Amino acid sequence: MSYDRPYHRGGGNRRRQHRDDYDDRRRDVYESPADKLKTAIIKLGEVDVLEELPVLEKQIREFSPLVIPNLSEAFRIAVTEQPFKIPYYAALLRRLHDSTEETPTVDGPSLGKQILEDFWKGFQAYLDKLAWRETRLCIHFFAHLTVAKLISTDSMFALLQSFTAVLEEFGVSNGRAKKAAVCAAEGLMIGGPILKPSSTEHVQEIINAIQAYNDSATSPKWLIAPVVKMYSDEASAPNTDELLDTVLQALRTLDESDFTETATSFSQPYTTYADPDLSTFTPYDLPSVLVPPEVIELDGLSTDSGEDSQVKKEEWPEYFLRLFDNDITPDPKTPAGYAVRTGILDILDIFEVNRKECARLLLEYPKWTIPGTFKPKPGGAVVPDPVPGKDWQLESTIIENVLGAYFILPESPYKSIYYIGVITELCKLSPSTVGPAVGKSIRKLYGTLADGLDVEVARRFAEWFAVHMSNFGFQWVWKEWIPDLSLNIQHPKRAFMRRALEFEIRLSYHDRILKTLPPEMQAPEGHTIGEQAPGPDFEYDDPAKPHHDAAQSVLNLFRGRAEAKDVISHLETLKATLETSDDGGIVNADVLIRSIAMQSLLHIGSRSFSHLLNAIERYLPLLRSIASGGASSAGGSGNPEAKADILTASAAFWKHNRHMVAIVFDKLMQYQIVDPTDVVGWTFINRAEIRELSESTGPLSLSAFEWDLLKGALDKANGRVMIARRKVATLRKEDDDTRARVKASGGADGNAMDVDADVKADEAPAIDSPALTIALKAFASLTREQKGALSRTLDGFVSCLAPAATDSNPNPHSRLVISEEGWNDRAGWEKDQWNAWETWGWYRQFCRSYAPYLRNYSTTLFTVSFAKFEGSTDPAAELLKKTWNVATGQE
Amino acid sequence: MAHVVSPLDQPSNYKDSQTRNIDRRAQNEMLAKSTTLYIGNLSFYTTEEQIYELFTKCASPEDGGGIKRIIMGLDRNTRTPCGFCFVEYYTHAEALASMRYVSGTKLDERIIRCDLDLGYKEGRQFGRGKKWRTAQRMEIERRREVEERYADAQDGPGAVAGGGGDWKEAEGSGNESRLKRGRSPEDEGDRLGQRSRLDEPDVDAERM
Repeated sequence: MSYDRPYHRGGGNRRRQHRDDYDDRRRDVYESPADKLKTAIIKLGEVDVLEELPVLEKQIREFSPLVIPNLSEAFRIAVTEQPFKIPYYAALLRRLHDSTEETPTVDGPSLGKQILEDFWKGFQAYLDKLAWRETRLCIHFFAHLTVAKLISTDSMFALLQSFTAVLEEFGVSNGRAKKAAVCAAEGLMIGGPILKPSSTEHVQEIINAIQAYNDSATSPKWLIAPVVKMYSDEASAPNTDELLDTVLQALRTLDESDFTETATSFSQPYTTYADPDLSTFTPYDLPSVLVPPEVIELDGLSTDSGEDSQVKKEEWPEYFLRLFDNDITPDPKTPAGYAVRTGILDILDIFEVNRKECARLLLEYPKWTIPGTFKPKPGGAVVPDPVPGKDWQLESTIIENVLGAYFILPESPYKSIYYIGVITELCKLSPSTVGPAVGKSIRKLYGTLADGLDVEVARRFAEWFAVHMSNFGFQWVWKEWIPDLSLNIQHPKRAFMRRALEFEIRLSYHDRILKTLPPEMQAPEGHTIGEQAPGPDFEYDDPAKPHHDAAQSVLNLFRGRAEAKDVISHLETLKATLETSDDGGIVNADVLIRSIAMQSLLHIGSRSFSHLLNAIERYLPLLRSIASGGASSAGGSGNPEAKADILTASAAFWKHNRHMVAIVFDKLMQYQIVDPTDVVGWTFINRAEIRELSESTGPLSLSAFEWDLLKGALDKANGRVMIARRKVATLRKEDDDTRARVKASGGADGNAMDVDADVKADEAPAIDSPALTIALKAFASLTREQKGALSRTLDGFVSCLAPAATDSNPNPHSRLVISEEGWNDRAGWEKDQWNAWETWGWYRQFCRSYAPYLRNYSTTLFTVSFAKFEGSTDPAAELLKKTWNVATGQE
Repeated sequence: MAHVVSPLDQPSNYKDSQTRNIDRRAQNEMLAKSTTLYIGNLSFYTTEEQIYELFTKCASPEDGGGIKRIIMGLDRNTRTPCGFCFVEYYTHAEALASMRYVSGTKLDERIIRCDLDLGYKEGRQFGRGKKWRTAQRMEIERRREVEERYADAQDGPGAVAGGGGDWKEAEGSGNESRLKRGRSPEDEGDRLGQRSRLDEPDVDAERM
């Protein structure tokens, strides 16, 4: 694919220019001289950092009056928001420690020391609120300052040890331990050259503490590795690496070399400066700290059956996918490789607020690395000699790491579209260098699809592919994948092609995407893209079809904007007619009436999303009546069969357009015509009735489309609980405030002198306001629904993956695909095997992604779904249970 | 984090002409809670479903969010899409995410622009007037299909769905049309022709 043409094709006239400026504008505000100094500190290194250092030092020294908090704030902002410059800020602070001829330190601490002391207060504040990233970056700064001999080694050790102490806390969460371990490890990596000579023992203690923690936290790794081997307990797969594993390997390598490699991994511009005169200089002792415990905001809300309903995320190890060889991109298990990865990931994290700046800073990253780390830009003035073992490709390294973060399971730190957007901006900034790296990454990922690439990673890959192509003219060389059309239709590579094209069509339109394909893929027998635009299919449209006239009569009512109650009574008449018709009556007139009504309604709402909403809103009473099974329109949660019929009719109407199926289901849930549990149940059971819709016809199994439906339903259920929780919290606070006000005004009120009355007010149990009572009821019913949806999903997976021989349409391969032998024979797999394998993948994603919710209900759900496997040696049952236990933290 | 770079999710200084008399502070307060985005520079052919697909990527359903509704901007005279729309989410955070991640990227091969909006009000779906009508006259015939889709759009209340909140009396008539564009080959030229108008000075007329 070609990125050679500039992104702004043609249209770059004045108007466009203006608008771009407009986007990047900064508000003009008055800057005081103190602000200007702060800005100068923050902007250090815009041209040549080493030359700017003495200039900036002079500027700071000559500034009057010097306000230390202003300076230390500038350092704090600089360190926590531009980590790539930390070594240079350490150098600047080192310079500010010296007394100069013009400003001799007559008495009192040096300017540098004053800044450092004040900087510490900021660090303490970050730590107090457990701002982990800022805390960690401050530790980088302190570690550099320790090497620069401004901070005492003992106090630096003590600081790092307060972080390893976290790893020994009883019941420490994975998330907290991971972040604390990285703080200690990175501090040691940078500070090692001076820390180890001071105490080999302390260095060992720190490394051992991290190692011990990492050894104890192995089971979750098996569940979140991006390359799956289901038959094995082993988590490590080629080309993947886990954060703490890499931290430890890099640290051990450094330790073995007595941290001589620190100098080739992290910039140390201050090492050329003379050591401070130790006769007059005392290194700063960092005060001792305690990492504060995690604050758990207890709102005291629990579900009906007393389960905790709080949701806590970020509990997993972090796996990254490698796409390139070690001579192209750095191996993060080496010190220099680890430094590069963490440097890139920090930029990606910090600049999330501005993806354009993020992309620019990523491409400028080599400026801050040790010369020779990356291949020089072609045409650069000075070409340094390549450093052996380094000389990596910048663009490949960036893309590998951005994709690595994007593919983190169970979910990436930010939304998918952020990572996609950063890559788009990178391509716009430097099409000729980033484009090829993107192309290679796509080919590499595509190549691993059938070697166990996790199904969720594969889905994100397809999503990235489609959005990326949408930004670059849909130019992909599809013809190179033509040979893969000979693979089985459900082979991951073919599934990927179909999915990517489907996502492309959603962002564009059918004809446009069809034209980007070679004839082999356009052909219907290629089964890669639909023959026609994915339009609606109104079953009763054709006059030759049965019930055409009945459907027309309903349609005419809708078109004439008849009132809902008139449509309801018409449907009743219609039903009576059908039941008593000449040909002996329709067996299930209810089902037919629901289908006619739903399809007709969707038909009038088929022209756009807004038309759909209008149709639904106009006929809500009708929809509620249908959902209740026609018995009465007042029916509470409706009739399960009727709701399944509504979903079936909707899916049948949009069977050529899965995007619309998902949208209609979402809105039916939004307007509470159906519940998330209905959608879950439908997805596992009824979906198979509509053959066009499903990739996985035949035995019961799930593909990415069905997963999207499940996810939509589960997210809806969880989102509602979240809203209800917030509502309760707000109303409670209002109630409390009201009570407090009443109490306060009661005291001031002249009539409230009565002592008895006061006592009564205190003793009376707090009575909730009516609004709060209602909100609490809603919360209770929504958590019930949430639990129901989760339980239904688990049940669905259990019956798909460990079917009893007596189940209808069991997949005979669900046990085979999880055996080592079965997996090794995958070259010969057919549709059912791949379907079974993908279903296992979605089960894993369900468990790990909804673990925060599942944990709250783990005992009940386990009993309900797994009791039948008591004593069973069925490998499928074993794997189901193991996956569940790992996800819910019981293994 | 906003010391080193300016975040992309700041509202612009543009103001809707119909809300001009709200003072700036009140406006900023409203924008700080806004769940609505104005989307500009859309292709006239872009469908609501395409918009839905892209903007869903900024939705947080697990947090009670999602796309509440989409209001397509229509030419006051021809009742056809004229290059802008409103996307309303359930939460403010989703609107901010769109500003950060989607604004300035392509949809339907045009770079779209998002801006936080004070919220949709009846009548705002109608954009440009006379000037645009003249410019569009030549392509009207080819755009019959798109016109049909919005043939029932009304000036009055009810032209736009409430999206699950308060529900209003809606218009729903029965012209038939397929959802996605069944485009004939000659449309391509038209589509390209449109691109040259990308920088039409009047592009934000409806908001000034």
